[in-house]
Amino acid sequence: MNCETCQLKELELEQDEIKDVLRCILHTIFFHRTLTLVRPKDVDCDLFEITYVQCGLPDLEKEVDEKINQFIAWVEKHPNRRSQVCLSFFEDKNKNPSWFTNKTERIYWEQWFINLHVASPKGHGKSRSSKATSIGGKALEEARSKRAALGLLIQEVLFQIINFANEKKDHIPAISDRIFNHEISIPSSSDSVFGWNVDVLRRVLNS
Amino acid sequence: MATLSDSAGGVGGGGGGGGRAGAELMVPQFHLKALHAILAVRAPRPLSAAAPSPAASIRRRDRWFHLPLHAPPPPPAAEHLPEPSAAEPLVVDVYLTPSGGGGTEEVVERWTVSCEPWPAGARASSSAAAGEGLAVNRAYKRCITLLRSVYTALRILPAYRVFRQLCASGQSYNYEMGFRVGSFAAPFTRAEEKAMSTRRFAPVETQLGRLVVSVQYLPSLAAFNLEICSLAPAMLITDYVGSPAADPMRAFPASLTAASSSAPAFPPRRPNSWASPAPWPQSPVQQAKFSPPPAALYASPTPSPPTFGGGYLQSRLGAETAPMVIPGGGRGPVHNRHMSDPVRGFMLPPPSPKNTNGNRPDGTEVHDTPTETGRMVLRMADLYANLPSVPKIKDSRDEYGRFSGVFSSSGSPRLGFSRSSSRLSMQDDTDDLDFPFAVDDVDPPDSRPGSSGGKDVGDQASSSSHKSQDAAVGYLVHMLKSARPLRDSSNSPHTSRVESVEGSTTSSFMSRRTSDAFEELESFKEIKENLLARSRSRMQESLDKSLRHS
Repeated sequence: MNCETCQLKELELEQDEIKDVLRCILHTIFFHRTLTLVRPKDVDCDLFEITYVQCGLPDLEKEVDEKINQFIAWVEKHPNRRSQVCLSFFEDKNKNPSWFTNKTERIYWEQWFINLHVASPKGHGKSRSSKATSIGGKALEEARSKRAALGLLIQEVLFQIINFANEKKDHIPAISDRIFNHEISIPSSSDSVFGWNVDVLRRVLNS
Repeated sequence: MATLSDSAGGVGGGGGGGGRAGAELMVPQFHLKALHAILAVRAPRPLSAAAPSPAASIRRRDRWFHLPLHAPPPPPAAEHLPEPSAAEPLVVDVYLTPSGGGGTEEVVERWTVSCEPWPAGARASSSAAAGEGLAVNRAYKRCITLLRSVYTALRILPAYRVFRQLCASGQSYNYEMGFRVGSFAAPFTRAEEKAMSTRRFAPVETQLGRLVVSVQYLPSLAAFNLEICSLAPAMLITDYVGSPAADPMRAFPASLTAASSSAPAFPPRRPNSWASPAPWPQSPVQQAKFSPPPAALYASPTPSPPTFGGGYLQSRLGAETAPMVIPGGGRGPVHNRHMSDPVRGFMLPPPSPKNTNGNRPDGTEVHDTPTETGRMVLRMADLYANLPSVPKIKDSRDEYGRFSGVFSSSGSPRLGFSRSSSRLSMQDDTDDLDFPFAVDDVDPPDSRPGSSGGKDVGDQASSSSHKSQDAAVGYLVHMLKSARPLRDSSNSPHTSRVESVEGSTTSSFMSRRTSDAFEELESFKEIKENLLARSRSRMQESLDKSLRHS
């Protein structure tokens, strides 16, 4: 089975925007790939004028939030870097079953790469240290327009997800009673400069 | 839950005729589901704040494409629209128009759902052959993803924010949002076409043809400059409880009110100023839009049912006629259907039998008969039934996706499906359908969120506003309940049964004199004065508030 991959557009954001952005993107992907009965739930982003849809599965929401918190913790230790969060869907298959071994192998059938560039808050410190209030007001205006632009970019990413999810459907396994096996990979401390998970790289090369 | 699996080369019975039957069922259902998904977030109306709880069960027909539309559910108007046909495209125009009428309707979104049939002469071609050979469950799976995309896109496009703003309670805007549903639409002008962006979702190939969904939309609605017209206007309620216009004394038998002055006629319909929280109070002009008569209290947002056919149907929210018109007075906001009949909230038990065997002013005795008692009960019921004269409110089940007017009588897919098998077993009789899932019907609506029989909602709504008037009414009820019976059971042959039930307690009320009746009259007069005084102070407060705000 081919593993379809989708590289989403890179988003430049600040630390306090990570949660909103990742929740929005991850849940949208899950909503498209959870083909079991769902209870759609509209959720408004805190910082953007965007409403996305969750599947209404509390366990999934918890899992997503935990991963996002881990990612935020990693970002705090590695500020101002490009990073990637990868959502992979896979099937477990028995690999060479025998009397002695019962290894299962993960066969990835789809991967979504969320590319982020988290700007460090210190990077904006110079502008904030300016004395005049007019410059402070300008910075606020700048922040607002930046956020609005990011909101538009997020919408583009969501449409990107929609397009990909609809164009690539042949590789999706049969619908089961639960959501597909998946994992959310975040950069680990031992990763390279770009924050790419070595395992993810290996899988991409092997697919 | 039943499973669907992709078996290569199609399922048993899934190819050829059986697959076509499945597609013939699936495609119209997709049209319908898409239509309801669009209208759910493009027909502004007060939305229930409470989200359905995870434990709330989902109706069987809502499980089509594994996407129940319950948050928010489609508007009631959706139930009156004709069921889309697979042969005809479905076009939904969403437009904005200035409030109060008189302005042009500008289409901000146009959704098109169609099944493009395979070319007749191309049966041998690869695409047609692929369509015929496709497993219907594979197409169904793809339809699930497509519908998810439509659902998501509906919330990303700019019209969604306008929809949310217009749904906000307590505010009226300078624009209204409406929709038109039909099988064709007037083409856009060149300028309009140029201003619109288009998104076309990847089609799904079925045995009937290619299922295509596309949307043309204005990328920005900033030009409309949505502004709040006015906040909820201060309402002066002239026929509140205790007012001369609504004298509760009128409701009681003549024996009690013989000495009272003639009261003005009790209005047959009056606004229920305390029961309705009026989530969406509007300017009088907009009231005409959203509630058929200006005096309507609970106005269904349902427009007049459009005529069936290929014509361009207009289903504008707040059209002049509504299937369910609840006469009332004064306020005509669009009302949440879950609001209970406020009469229920004030349901009075039948008054205790009253002994009217007192003397009238002219000295003649007054004998209360069961007929008289029954009349009194009816009058009292009339007193409160004349408050919001609400016709039968539909079960809340209807709000959550029950499109009984649209679905066929069976309401379920017609193809059977075995859970233990990945193959579709086709049934061509009229039994309830299991395709593409075999699930039981849902629990009664009481278990569903927002469907607690409506009474709790009504009680909540009544308690949340106009508490002092509620207290006044409650006081009146208490007085009535604790009033001594007037009936003279010994003189009436019809009361023998009642007499036996009441036993010795009635013996003390056997004889009732005129003086007792007058005492009671006095007490009722006191109540009336009390209520009047309270209402006056309330009126004063509301006037002061409105002056302060203006």
